[in-house]
Amino acid sequence: MSTSGPKFSNSFRLAGVLLIAGLCIETISLFWVHPIAFLAFFVIGGVLLAAGVLLYLSSIIFQPSPSSRD
Amino acid sequence: MPGPLAILFVLLGTTIVLLVVLLIRAPLAATPAGKILAFLAFCAFPVLCGFWGLNEHLERSKQTAFCLSCHIMEPYGRSLYANDAAYVPAAHFQNHRIPVDEACYTCHTDYAMYGTIRVKLHGLRHIYVQYFGTPMQPIHLYDPYNNRECLHCHGGARSFENDTHMAQMDQIKANQLSCVSSGCHDVIHNASSIDKVKLWRPQE
Repeated sequence: MSTSGPKFSNSFRLAGVLLIAGLCIETISLFWVHPIAFLAFFVIGGVLLAAGVLLYLSSIIFQPSPSSRD
Repeated sequence: MPGPLAILFVLLGTTIVLLVVLLIRAPLAATPAGKILAFLAFCAFPVLCGFWGLNEHLERSKQTAFCLSCHIMEPYGRSLYANDAAYVPAAHFQNHRIPVDEACYTCHTDYAMYGTIRVKLHGLRHIYVQYFGTPMQPIHLYDPYNNRECLHCHGGARSFENDTHMAQMDQIKANQLSCVSSGCHDVIHNASSIDKVKLWRPQE
């Protein structure tokens, strides 16, 4: 995301990594019918997904506007 | 037609692939179409996957196999196969009076407003105690068994509305006379002595 600066690019990348990790955990948990699978889904997967989505949203909300970068 | 779980797996896979593509080729997300794609991959799809997956897990938590997957529940699972009609859960389970796949949930849910949510919170408490605390010995219900759960199915049934029950119906409905602990139907799981009981083996 060279158009929005390195800080935005880092947030974008970190959000992507968090989301991929969260989605992988959620996918794996769905192959197992057990309370631990539910815990993994809810606690680990849920936290990673929420962090990824919030980081992405905050990075697009707080990215500097084109006029401020000029 | 693929089931909801297959569609969920496709959505999860698609979202992961989109995220990987957007991370590898970040300049894509700078174009107007790429921004929409990024919003879908980074926000809309993960949120959808999260809620859909949560619903799937909540539905699975109703399964008999889920309840019996904890070691502490094994004797309760065996009691469903007691070869003795006096065992209330066994009689219900073996004669399919309750859905066999959701046997525990059917009798131990709370048939009241927000009952499902209350039961799910109890379930979270079970998980917490199982993995981070000390399970009670012997395990028992948090509250006395409510007749409401029996009457959910039996209430109004011809076989239930016999002279014996009708004579005490007000007390039964008011939960003043327990179905399971007043000497009428009091052989429930009896988990502590289930090893001494002959078990029924379903024919293949």
